[in-house]
Amino acid sequence: MKILVIEDEKALQESIIKYLEHQGFVCEAANDFLAGKEKVTNYLYDCIVIDVGLPFGNGLDIVKELKFMESKAGIIIISAKNTLDDKLNGLDLGADDYLSKPFYLSELTARINAIIRRRNFDGNKAIVFNEIRLEAEAQRVTVNYKPVNLTDKEYGLLEYFIANQRRLLTKAAIAEHIWGDEYLHASNYDFIYTHIKNLRKKLVDAGSNDYIKTAHGSGYRFTDL
Amino acid sequence: MKLLTKTTIYFLLAMIPLLSVAGFYLFKQFSKKINFRSDKELLSEEVTWAQYLQNEADNGLSFILKTPDIFIAPTGQAASEAPAITDVNEFNTKEHHTVFYRQLSQIITVSGITYQIIIRQSQEQKAALVADITKTMLSVFAGLFAATLIFNWAISKRLWKPFGQSLKKIRNAELQKMENLHFEDTSTKEFNELNASLNFMAGKIYKDYVNMKEFTENAAHEMQTPVAIAQSKLELLLQDTNLKDEQVQSIMEAITALNRLKILHEGLLLLAKIENNQYSTTKEINLTKVTQKYLQLFNEFIKDKQLSVTVNYETDFIVKLHPTLADSLITNLLGNAIKYNLTGGSIRIDISATKYLISNTSSFDEIPKERLFKRMAASKQSGETSNGLGLAIVKKITEANNLHITYRVSDGWHQFEIEKL
Repeated sequence: MKILVIEDEKALQESIIKYLEHQGFVCEAANDFLAGKEKVTNYLYDCIVIDVGLPFGNGLDIVKELKFMESKAGIIIISAKNTLDDKLNGLDLGADDYLSKPFYLSELTARINAIIRRRNFDGNKAIVFNEIRLEAEAQRVTVNYKPVNLTDKEYGLLEYFIANQRRLLTKAAIAEHIWGDEYLHASNYDFIYTHIKNLRKKLVDAGSNDYIKTAHGSGYRFTDL
Repeated sequence: MKLLTKTTIYFLLAMIPLLSVAGFYLFKQFSKKINFRSDKELLSEEVTWAQYLQNEADNGLSFILKTPDIFIAPTGQAASEAPAITDVNEFNTKEHHTVFYRQLSQIITVSGITYQIIIRQSQEQKAALVADITKTMLSVFAGLFAATLIFNWAISKRLWKPFGQSLKKIRNAELQKMENLHFEDTSTKEFNELNASLNFMAGKIYKDYVNMKEFTENAAHEMQTPVAIAQSKLELLLQDTNLKDEQVQSIMEAITALNRLKILHEGLLLLAKIENNQYSTTKEINLTKVTQKYLQLFNEFIKDKQLSVTVNYETDFIVKLHPTLADSLITNLLGNAIKYNLTGGSIRIDISATKYLISNTSSFDEIPKERLFKRMAASKQSGETSNGLGLAIVKKITEANNLHITYRVSDGWHQFEIEKL
């Protein structure tokens, strides 16, 4: 999977690329509007991450260009201007998703995964992690081809874990992903524990390995290492 | 006081001395004329009497006449050359008032007999004249008063019309629509000057507003980017498997602090945007629906604290409110009701057509009035991470949208009530 990151803040761009490469993506970067435009016209990507405020131009114009070219690439807009206008404009122009800065790298990864899966019409839509298999469309999960009955939240958690496999995920990031922005204001994330405990039990009971590791005090890691 | 009332009062105040002077002048003139005429009458009367005395003297008779008005009697004094005419007054003992007279007195010699002649003429009509003039002046004054009122009213209504129109425009002006605000030229120079200044001011206000809006957005951009960088670096750092527990702990604390900064910043930005009227809307929203949505979303917290929630939806609570603000209003109120509740406590929500009441049990004391709804003035007793912006945002939202919020504690319930104005 090939990703293009068009972001002028060098430090943020490096973080994004480093994290995405960890998750198995092949990444390229562009530092400004012109470089970004040149790359999207000359090469094909599965997903493009575009910052709105760029030197020499507006990221939204690259979205227009991509739509004009009838590109099949998924598009995620990232913007520090958390204004509704930017968001609505971006989505109207044909972007698939919008993230406002600051965001968790794990959240960006989960969104990229979701977009690529949705766009991957002809290919295999299932997400596979060893013996666990998620069929996104039907929200069906099997362990060794045996179905496991998960709640919506548990399914969301599993999907998020697999997208960010082997990474340490903070409780705050998990809560924000599954329960939404409002949970930013939470003072403790104890309620996550119950859901993770249930997911873990269901998977293990179905014959899966116990992949969910607790990193005490900080969060969880879904790993087969 | 109305301008019209003021000009009328000033006008009338100026009229009083003017009319008094005119009245005094009229009186003086008339009185001079009256004296002149009565003096002529006195003189001709004297001539008549002198002739009569002459006739009587020719008949060899001396004459004495004593009436209140005429006194003719022989005297031993020397004759005077010319008649003396003076004003005299006499106290009338019967009627108990002073009577004014014009009096002619002369000593003449008729055929060797010296007579003193005193002829008086009552000046009653002069007093009547004063009364007449006063009356006339008063009626002129009353007439002027009425005329002034009517004219002033009619004229000012006509003259001030463009002013009224400008005023109406200013009253209905909205910050976001300031760009299209234009004050037309009138036929009055002063109003043209006013309208030109207003046009200039409206343009400047709109420009400032746009600048402010851009500044807020840019400030957001400039501040969120470094936070985003710091957060991404910490997230990457956390992936290092060689970290010691304390190191992980430090990174987690840094992430939590950044999170607080992010929320704080979002809150301040939201307040600035509300103050800039960037969330004005004409659309209505049903707060009952918004409440139901957030009760679902906050279900995890509610379960976690084992709270019992009672909701009395009598009817929909529909207000003109931007969806972002509606969300913020309910998350803050409901969030607080959960956050500052006791474990195993209760939340009660009562919604009628005009009132939205949210009550919660709490172990905390009543919020002191001086800290209520104030920014960054939240209590430190809670132990919860609070930025102290929640209630300030709630207050700002209600203020900007024709709502009124009150807080009270009764029977251990902390209650926030929103009313439509």
